[in-house]
Amino acid sequence: MSLYSVFESLQSIGPLADIRESALVYPVILATHLVCIGLFGGMILMTDLRLLGLGMGDLTISEVVNGLRWPKRIGLVVIVICGLLLFSSEALKYEPNPYFWTKMTLLVLATIHYFVFRNSVYNNTEELDKSPVIPTRVKTAAILSMVIWVSIPVCGRLIAYYEPDKQKAPQTATVR
Amino acid sequence: MAFLALALLQSSNPIGDALNNTEWAFPLAECFHIVFFGIAIGTIMIVNLRLLGLAFPRRTPAQLAQDTWVWTLVGLVIAVLAGMALFISDPRMYSYNQGFRFKITVFVLAVIYHYTVHAKVVSSNSSRAISAVVGVISVALWVSVVAGGIFIAFV
Repeated sequence: MSLYSVFESLQSIGPLADIRESALVYPVILATHLVCIGLFGGMILMTDLRLLGLGMGDLTISEVVNGLRWPKRIGLVVIVICGLLLFSSEALKYEPNPYFWTKMTLLVLATIHYFVFRNSVYNNTEELDKSPVIPTRVKTAAILSMVIWVSIPVCGRLIAYYEPDKQKAPQTATVR
Repeated sequence: MAFLALALLQSSNPIGDALNNTEWAFPLAECFHIVFFGIAIGTIMIVNLRLLGLAFPRRTPAQLAQDTWVWTLVGLVIAVLAGMALFISDPRMYSYNQGFRFKITVFVLAVIYHYTVHAKVVSSNSSRAISAVVGVISVALWVSVVAGGIFIAFV
């Protein structure tokens, strides 16, 4: 069974087809997706800026990481649920889209990033607060996090700009 | 007068031309808009979490605002500049779009509210009830701004 046919079956599931065909539900889910990016996405970047020593310097690393942990988790859950609904209601539209697959790859990288740095950075903040300088591995974690988490909404936006016909046309027209 | 200005802006302006004549300029401006409104609203939400009593119990709202206001301002300025560039690519369409009009109205209200009522309550030792109400109104305003932006494409 190809991915195409899996996506085809997915988007034909009753409630998902209803989302696609609704003039109101689809934009409401999209708005919720973006509203939560607005409310919670910046918290990821502020955590990174704190780890780099560039923002929220009056608070300890522990306060910033622990204070924003649950808001970020709740935000991520809502954003992912909305994203899954948006994708699965129009799965076939996303299947050929390279920006969609880049975004999915970046989400996998974000998950790997979390597990790689979890023990040494995010669950080790009390040690980091005692350290006179911010260790290189912490700054590395923060920079990688910023690059990944900025690229994810950027790819999300670019999904809308992919035109399969337009992209294929020059390949057949150009003689290499 | 406003109509004339709009017509002139629509017919020719260097920023609008750049946005319309290159493939990448409009999405690039959109990406800046999204990332920096994320920083602006995200930092305002950090203060709101404290106003609502949901995080940072050992800090006052004033301390959190003191620690985040620069990034709120940076986020707002860049998000607005990118937003103005997007607007100028097609001023007539945006001016008559109900989603856009709603967004701009609520945005102006949200900014005024943020630098007056919100700032005042954040800097004073307000009661828990007043702090919570002021925080909820702030969340509602910023949610409406972002949601209004999305509905530009759907109304």
